[in-house]
Order: sequence, then structure tokens, then C-alpha cells
Amino acid sequence: MNLDALTRTSGEWLRGTGPESDIVICSRIRLARNLADFPFTNRASDAEKTEIERVCRSAMDKAGLDLDYQSLVNLGPLDRQLLVERQLVSRELSNGDGPRGVAIGPRENMSVMINEEDHLRIQVMNSGFSLPDVWEQINDLDDRLEEQLHYAFNPQLGYLTACPTNVGTGIRVGVMLHLPALANTKQIEKVFRALHKINLAVRGLYGEGTQADGDFYQISNQQTLGKSERELIRNLSDVIPQIISYERQARQEWIGQRRQHLHDQVSRAYGVLKTAHTISSSETMHLLSSVRMGINLGLIDDLEIRTVNELFIHTQPAHLQKIQGESLEVDERNIARAGYIRRRLLEGRHDDETAD
Amino acid sequence: MTCQRCSREASVHLSETVDGSRRELHLCGPCARKAGLAPPDPPPNAALEAIVDHLIVQHVGELVGELARASCPLCGQTFMEFRTGGRLGCPNDYEAFAPGLLPLVRTAHGASRHVGKSPRRRTPPGKSPGLRLRARLREAIAREDYELAATLRDQLRQEDADR
Repeated sequence: MNLDALTRTSGEWLRGTGPESDIVICSRIRLARNLADFPFTNRASDAEKTEIERVCRSAMDKAGLDLDYQSLVNLGPLDRQLLVERQLVSRELSNGDGPRGVAIGPRENMSVMINEEDHLRIQVMNSGFSLPDVWEQINDLDDRLEEQLHYAFNPQLGYLTACPTNVGTGIRVGVMLHLPALANTKQIEKVFRALHKINLAVRGLYGEGTQADGDFYQISNQQTLGKSERELIRNLSDVIPQIISYERQARQEWIGQRRQHLHDQVSRAYGVLKTAHTISSSETMHLLSSVRMGINLGLIDDLEIRTVNELFIHTQPAHLQKIQGESLEVDERNIARAGYIRRRLLEGRHDDETAD
Repeated sequence: MTCQRCSREASVHLSETVDGSRRELHLCGPCARKAGLAPPDPPPNAALEAIVDHLIVQHVGELVGELARASCPLCGQTFMEFRTGGRLGCPNDYEAFAPGLLPLVRTAHGASRHVGKSPRRRTPPGKSPGLRLRARLREAIAREDYELAATLRDQLRQEDADR
């Protein structure tokens, strides 16, 4: 797989299309699976991890899956970070040691991590709010792998995982939401408390322990045992529309009460991004968040959501350095980031507008 | 104060009231044990591990003591390692540590029975031939018994080929 190519493309989940895509960035499901005949990854020797990798890769081939395998062993830190920023591998897999890798689907909507915390971490991501579609795809992928592999399974406890918090279905159902209005009006904490009470977890863009930069929040189930996959998906599917409706309401109240102020904030954010000559990753996320909301509220009409979604990812440190083709210090990155954003915003404008 | 039954220093001091009159008893450790008034002898070979083990059994109960000593025969992981690191060593740990693990699972999920999808092929983890052969292979390599290791490796390859 040519990782440099990732900087010229964008994943399916960044398309900015699909149901509720003004607020829902993407829907994601992952399944944790382990082979019955091996110790879990943390207890496996390097020889055993190599064997696990071989068995899993052979199963993917036999199942006729169109996945491109990338071993992480010989990748440098920048390339590994690129895969993390792209949401194709977890930080744990990137920072791990020993034989490990990831198989990636052609549109980047599928990835199978090998020798992460569990032997297999299967993931499917789609743009917009589309959990039933994602489940259909991942369930099919899991079935096809299961025909070739011998999963560790116990009738009482279900799929056995290295950490008991994943045992049972091994499923993590997650939806990534853009919630700038709820964040701005501080109503988000109330939402979090309510979600926590019904056993749902809230995390930042890059998972556990990360900040919600750019007002992105991942909401996912915590319980994996005692409910079926469909029930767990339904639980989340029932809750997400309420959050979407709170966010829309907060946006409308905001625009109703302080239209000029909001229009000013959005336009200034767009202006800074179009003209800045040095900009940090954190400021970029913050400003892009305002611009993204501005497009959805009709306050900016010469820019596509897809471009903004891509900028969120392409301005991350590893993407930026790969795009520039060199390793950069923080100050140099800030300058390169500003230049890249200026160019992309010029290209990303609608043709009729750029002609003006 | 000396022991009321021998001349050693008293270390157990008891008082009781019988028919309204108060009686005091001062005994040394061995005399108190003889009278059934003191805890049993400390464990022999009082290495730190044994002392800790003994304390756990004494203070937290036999079940926790057993768990503290529990280890998986197939991967070698101990229950205490799991409690420290939060990760299990192999699928068989769910059986090896069941008394300690199931309450944790129940607390984490509010349930203890799987109701989701199931794979068509199933082998109880403890019965997995691969897991057992790999455990024996690891032991053989640790003992530097390379002849047995080679045989076990061949058996594993055969198992794999049969599947």
C-alpha cells in the first residue's frame, strides 16, 4: 500500500454525505475477535504474533476480501501516525510492538487491525448516520472471516476478549458528531451526564483520553454483554436523533438571538483561515468547526462540507508533513499548515463563486 | 510483665469478668497458643510472598486467597497480574479465573449471559488443542528441550493443516 497516496485522497467517511451529515460525521462499528488457539496479544511471544498475523492474513485471502495489508513493523513513526489520524488504526496499534498490522479496504471504510489488544479488531465506517448499513457490512465481513478462523467463544460469555469490558458481542458502536452549538452554549455537559446514565461513553476525535478538538464527539456503547448487537445498535440509534435535534435547536436559538454575532464569528473564522500565515493545529480545528457550522447554517455559501471535513484531517501533523514531503518542527508546521489551508480554501470554493 | 505460666515476656493480655469478679491473664505467645488463646503459628518459610499470602487469606478470606494464587495452566498468567494490568492472558483465563472474573463482568455490563451472534464453529477454550500444544511448546522451549519443542511444533502444523 502506498501511504503517500493517502494524502491525496480522502476516506469514504469524510465524504460529508449520508443521512444527517450536517451533524453526524460518520457511523462506525468495531468488533473485537480472538483466535481460540493462541494466547491474547499481550501474552503472545513474537513468534506467536507472527503466526497470528499469518493465520489472519491467510483467512482474509481465502475469504476473498479486497483488503490491502500494511505491516506496522517497518513503518516509521510518521507513517504510523498518518494511519492514526486517518482513523484506520488505533494509537495502541501504532505505539505497540512486535508483529502487527492493518488490512485496509479500497475506500478506507473497512479496516482489520491484527495484534492490537485483541487478535482482530474489525472496523467499518460510513459517512453520515447509517448504523444499520454499517452493521450489515461488518456482520458480513465477520461472517466471512469466521468461516476461515476459529474464534475464541464461550456460550455463556460470548466472544472472549483480552479485556473483560469487551466480552460478549465484542461490539463498539460509535457515532462521531459535530456539536459546536451545544459546546458553545455549555449545554453539552448536560447531554454527557444524561448519556453516562444510560451507559454511553463520550470521547474526543481520536478516542479515549483525547480532547474534543473541533467540537467533535464520539458517542459509543460501553455495555457489550447481555444485549444483542442489534439491541445495542438500536439503543444508540434511538439516542443520537435526540442529540441531533438538541444541536439543531441550539443552532437555531443562537442564530435567532444573535444572528449578526454568529455571522461575524463564522466569517472571521473563515477569514483567518483564508489569510493566516501561521496557525496551530488546535486553532485550525476551532476555526474549521465554526466554518463547518457556518456552511450548514447557510452563512457561508462558497465552500463544500467535504473540503472542510478533509481539512480537519489533512492539517493534522503527520498528514501535513507527508503532504510537504519533509519532517517539520512545530513552528514550520504552523507555517506550512496555514499555506496549505489557504490553497485548499481557494480550490474548494464552488466554481461559480471562484469565477466572481 | 512476665508470663503467668512461664518466665518469658508476656505478649497476650486478656481480661474477663466471671460472676462479677474481674480476672486478668498475661501470657507469652507459646503459652497463649497452648491455651488456644492466640492465632496459629506464622507460616513457615516466612518469605515476603508467603506472608502477604497468609495475610490475604487471614484478612480477606479464603476465596480471595485462592484467587491471589490462581494462575492459568495454559498461559501462566496469574489473577493478580490481571487485576494489576487489566488484561487477560488467554481465552482459558475466563475459566481459570471464573470465581473472581464473573462478578467483575457482571458489574461492568450489568449482565452475565451472552445473547448476541455466535460463530458456527466452537471449541470450549480449555479444550482448544492449539492453546494446549502452544503452552507445552513454551514450557519445552523454556526447559531447552528442543527435541520435544520440534515435535510439538510439527503437531501444531498438523493441527493447522487439518483445519
